[in-house]
Amino acid sequence: MEHKLDVSGLEPPEPMEQILQAIESLNSGDYLYVIHRREPRMIYPMLENMGIAWITRPGGPEGYEIFIWRKDDRIANAKIPT
Amino acid sequence: MQVSRSSLSLEQAPPISVPFRFFITAPIFGLLAALLLLVYGPEILISRWAPATLALTHLITLGFLGMIMCGAMMQMLPVLAGSPVPRVKPVATAVHGLLTIGTLALAAGFLSGITGLFHLALSTLGLGFLIFIIAISVALIRIRTPNATIHGMRLAIASLATTVILGLTIGAGFSGMTSLSQLIPLTDIHLGWGILGWIGILVIGVAYQVVPMFQLTPEYPQRLTGSLSWVLFAALVIWAPLYLAWGSGQLPKWVPDTWILLPTIGYTLFAGSTLWLQHKRRRRVSDITLLFWRTGMILIAACLLLWLTSLTPAAKNQPAIPLLLGIWLLFGIAASVTNGMLYKIVPFLAWFHLQNRQVALMSMGKVKVPNMKELMPDRLTQRQLYAHLATLFLLTLAPFWPNPFSYLAGLGLGVSCALLLLNILQATRRYQQVNQELSDFESSR
Repeated sequence: MEHKLDVSGLEPPEPMEQILQAIESLNSGDYLYVIHRREPRMIYPMLENMGIAWITRPGGPEGYEIFIWRKDDRIANAKIPT
Repeated sequence: MQVSRSSLSLEQAPPISVPFRFFITAPIFGLLAALLLLVYGPEILISRWAPATLALTHLITLGFLGMIMCGAMMQMLPVLAGSPVPRVKPVATAVHGLLTIGTLALAAGFLSGITGLFHLALSTLGLGFLIFIIAISVALIRIRTPNATIHGMRLAIASLATTVILGLTIGAGFSGMTSLSQLIPLTDIHLGWGILGWIGILVIGVAYQVVPMFQLTPEYPQRLTGSLSWVLFAALVIWAPLYLAWGSGQLPKWVPDTWILLPTIGYTLFAGSTLWLQHKRRRRVSDITLLFWRTGMILIAACLLLWLTSLTPAAKNQPAIPLLLGIWLLFGIAASVTNGMLYKIVPFLAWFHLQNRQVALMSMGKVKVPNMKELMPDRLTQRQLYAHLATLFLLTLAPFWPNPFSYLAGLGLGVSCALLLLNILQATRRYQQVNQELSDFESSR
């Protein structure tokens, strides 16, 4: 299931805070779809440490789309739009 | 569609002690500047050449502004450009120590006239800036795909190098080490490169990133970001020999004075764009940093008007006008903008370091990391903003009515810098508390 999170209107570091919170509530097979104004490079090392996979694409309604899921969750991985 | 998985290595971010030592030292120099105003009073505002005035100016430029800008640059390069400063811990220790000793010695040298203090100041400041410029240049050169901010930083560092070389030359002449024939034009060129080059171009370059990011405004137009810093830098390169030619009697004064209008108009364009972008921002909540920046941007336009006024015949023998111009440039614009930025940088760094450690320890739900507002509460920053604005008002009156406004401005500056220091220390203490809680959690596992 997709969890949509629009952080484009938030001031740093609120997008990071909200993304980290949202990750905690991801169930098996779920992924997070984040709408962002910028590429959130500072969160990547944290995601890496947490065993979280991500993919960032320029585009979407605000400039960047980030898909986030647990590395070991193959079902979620398969659902990520290409 | 391009897919990005690029990452910012945690090892690249310098330890929090690197920028914080600079940020904590800055308001202490501000307090020393306030003390000088209180002790010397009207004497400081008679002329820009009075020894106490020169001491005060350098406590603000080197001690307050320089500390914040050096600390912020060491922090921002890895974060904004992914290019860390080499050997950042020893570099920060050396630069911070040398600049602190050098600034104190220079101020004491101006006040006492003791030659040995000038020698100490010139050697420590020279070495401190040399280390800083080399370290930052290495990080800047390593960036393969520079954006407008990086171009701005490169030009700002070149301007800093010019300012320092001129400062050392003037200092050597001032203390009798060498003979100097063109003291006044060289001093003006030194402060032109310092204010319009180093401070101004760095503020513009950093603004391209932080204004849209933190104030949620649209991006600066590319027409501006692509050319403004280069135009300003080139204008200074041409202005300096024109000014020297006036100094040696080869050109009339109106030639360099008219030329310097070009960068001044460029800065006013930047200020206008920033105010426009702030007006178009998405989230219309009150923000202290935005108010500090808005103050600075309005004063850029005010400085242009004041500069034009200073060229009229009526203003020729009015020493208050160049003093007011200096006050607005250094305190009204540069100090407002850097002070405002501290209220984003300090809580952001504290939060970021704590959050990183929490993730590394997987202590979510066990230790609560405070958010930005908890680390730097609005009621505290707002109080300091009011003190800063009151000081700016008093400083604006002081050149015209030195008694009593120089004393009142000294008092205001003291209160403003004390509050700034307390706010930074408060955030630092909160950081240390939570960091200790994380250490306790780590050892209890």
